[in-house]
Amino acid sequence: MLRRYTIILIIIMSSVAFVYIVVAVVGVIIALILAYFATLQSKGNATANTSSAKRTVTSPTIHASIEDSLVKEIEPVLHSKKHSEIISKKISRIFNAELEKRINLTVQTISKKYTNIIEEKTRNAEIAIKKYKKAIEEKKDTEAVIRSIAEGLVVVDSEGKVIMLNPAAEKLLGVQKEEKLGKKLTEDIKEEQLISLVKQSPEEEKKEIELATSDDETKKILRASSAVIEDENGKTIGMVSVLSDITKQKELERMKSNFIASVSHELRTPLIAIDKSVSLLLSKSTGPISETQEQFLKIAQRNLKRLSSLINDLLDLSKLEAKKMQLEKQPSSIKDIVNEVAETFDTWANTKSITIDKKIEADLPMVNIDPQRIIQVLTNLVGNAIKFTPQGGAITIEARYKKNESCIMVSVADTGVGIDKKDLERIFDKFYQTAERPTSDISGTGLGLAICKELIELHGGKIWAESEKGYGAKFIFTLPLTNG
Amino acid sequence: MEKTIKILMVDDEEDFTQPMAFWFKTKGYEVSVANNGKAALEKINTDKPDIVFLDLNMPVMDGFETLKRIRKIDKTLPVIVISAYADPEKLKQMQPYAISGVFYKGSDFEEGATLIESVLRTHKKLKK
Repeated sequence: MLRRYTIILIIIMSSVAFVYIVVAVVGVIIALILAYFATLQSKGNATANTSSAKRTVTSPTIHASIEDSLVKEIEPVLHSKKHSEIISKKISRIFNAELEKRINLTVQTISKKYTNIIEEKTRNAEIAIKKYKKAIEEKKDTEAVIRSIAEGLVVVDSEGKVIMLNPAAEKLLGVQKEEKLGKKLTEDIKEEQLISLVKQSPEEEKKEIELATSDDETKKILRASSAVIEDENGKTIGMVSVLSDITKQKELERMKSNFIASVSHELRTPLIAIDKSVSLLLSKSTGPISETQEQFLKIAQRNLKRLSSLINDLLDLSKLEAKKMQLEKQPSSIKDIVNEVAETFDTWANTKSITIDKKIEADLPMVNIDPQRIIQVLTNLVGNAIKFTPQGGAITIEARYKKNESCIMVSVADTGVGIDKKDLERIFDKFYQTAERPTSDISGTGLGLAICKELIELHGGKIWAESEKGYGAKFIFTLPLTNG
Repeated sequence: MEKTIKILMVDDEEDFTQPMAFWFKTKGYEVSVANNGKAALEKINTDKPDIVFLDLNMPVMDGFETLKRIRKIDKTLPVIVISAYADPEKLKQMQPYAISGVFYKGSDFEEGATLIESVLRTHKKLKK
């Protein structure tokens, strides 16, 4: 009885041991196979595509090779080829089914992922193509615009070599685009053609180029306005220049300045001759004249003075407007200027019982101005003040140093009729005269204040008026201490 | 005045030179007039003026050219430029040819006389 139990126990134990061994062996084999397929699968990933999504990955040859491997591993343990083959087949089948399921799943996931990526890439490519086409079109438009603008356009790189040249520039410079690209603009232009290339001022970046045209002997004057081209980092990568033909404009300027000069001469010469002749008669050095004759000669002389001051004012103004007025600047004392002007008006002020007060700050700094021109301004302002101030009034000339603004401020105030608000803005206009002009006044040309404004602005200063009707007027101008 | 001062006026504007010459004559000067540069050069040779009033804008030979020619034959003859208006550019061009002064046509003739006196005084001193 005990022996039978022992045998049964042994059989059971050996069966259990057998199962253990089988399980262990199968485990090892599965591990090996998994590793093998893992490598296969990773190779497969690289070439996977949509069409392979439903394809069976494991092939019959692989089945056979797995079965063979299993048989080889199991047979030595079971000592039965038949059993080993059956077990191997079953394991292989289960394993293959599971494997195929997994692989298909992986392939599907990968395929989906790549499909998305490809779709996105295609979309991006389409956008890029669209943008490229748009850019090409815009480039064509820009080129068409550049080609058709009347002004010459030249673009050079940082070395001054021509990158772009439009037809107008070709025509203006008398060159061909093909022969200029990649070369400096002034290269090859014969010296007799390029008369001068003058840089006017660094901040304006404006040049005037004088060219002699090849077909005739006339000169061509071009103005080049240039701007530096910088990249996003502020590095200079080139320069763009717009060329315009200013030959006609220059010719007109020259004619205008010649006209002013010739008018100055032509108008003054006869006036001087009349004035000198009348003066001679009035001086009685030509013989005695009657009282009536003297009276009319004096009228002639007074009106000659009026005419010649009008002509002088007109010529001054046209010179100022044409920017032809040249200042003879020198360090000058405002105190001396005020004193000098006040003195010249003494007699006239006395006849109207008008007092001229001077309030000049002590230690006024010297200022670099054209003294004659500032005397002209002050003479105008004081003259106006006397004209518009009734008998017994007062005129105050004040000069102060404004440290904060680094300028000298001069003002002329009167106790006259004052200026209406609506006139205040316009009194510096040419030929503008207020309605309150005294009827006795024949010396006004309506140009005095316009000239004052131009002269003060030419000195870099400002001029303005403050007034309230009935309370007199005050004219103020500033002269900067540091002017160029 | 030991000796009458001889003035030569060079200007094509007779309407100006006539009253001016008349005035200077009444003040005791001896005045001759030339209405262009060429005539002026001849008068300098024949009349031997003490001082010349020279206009700039003239036909035949302008003031600038005349001054150059005068300086070729006489380096010390005082020349006063007559001008209807101040043109700093033109006066600058004149500088190398030693002008003694500028007389503006609009000024009083008195100023012209003062100018003559002071120029001749300085000139005399320099000659000594």
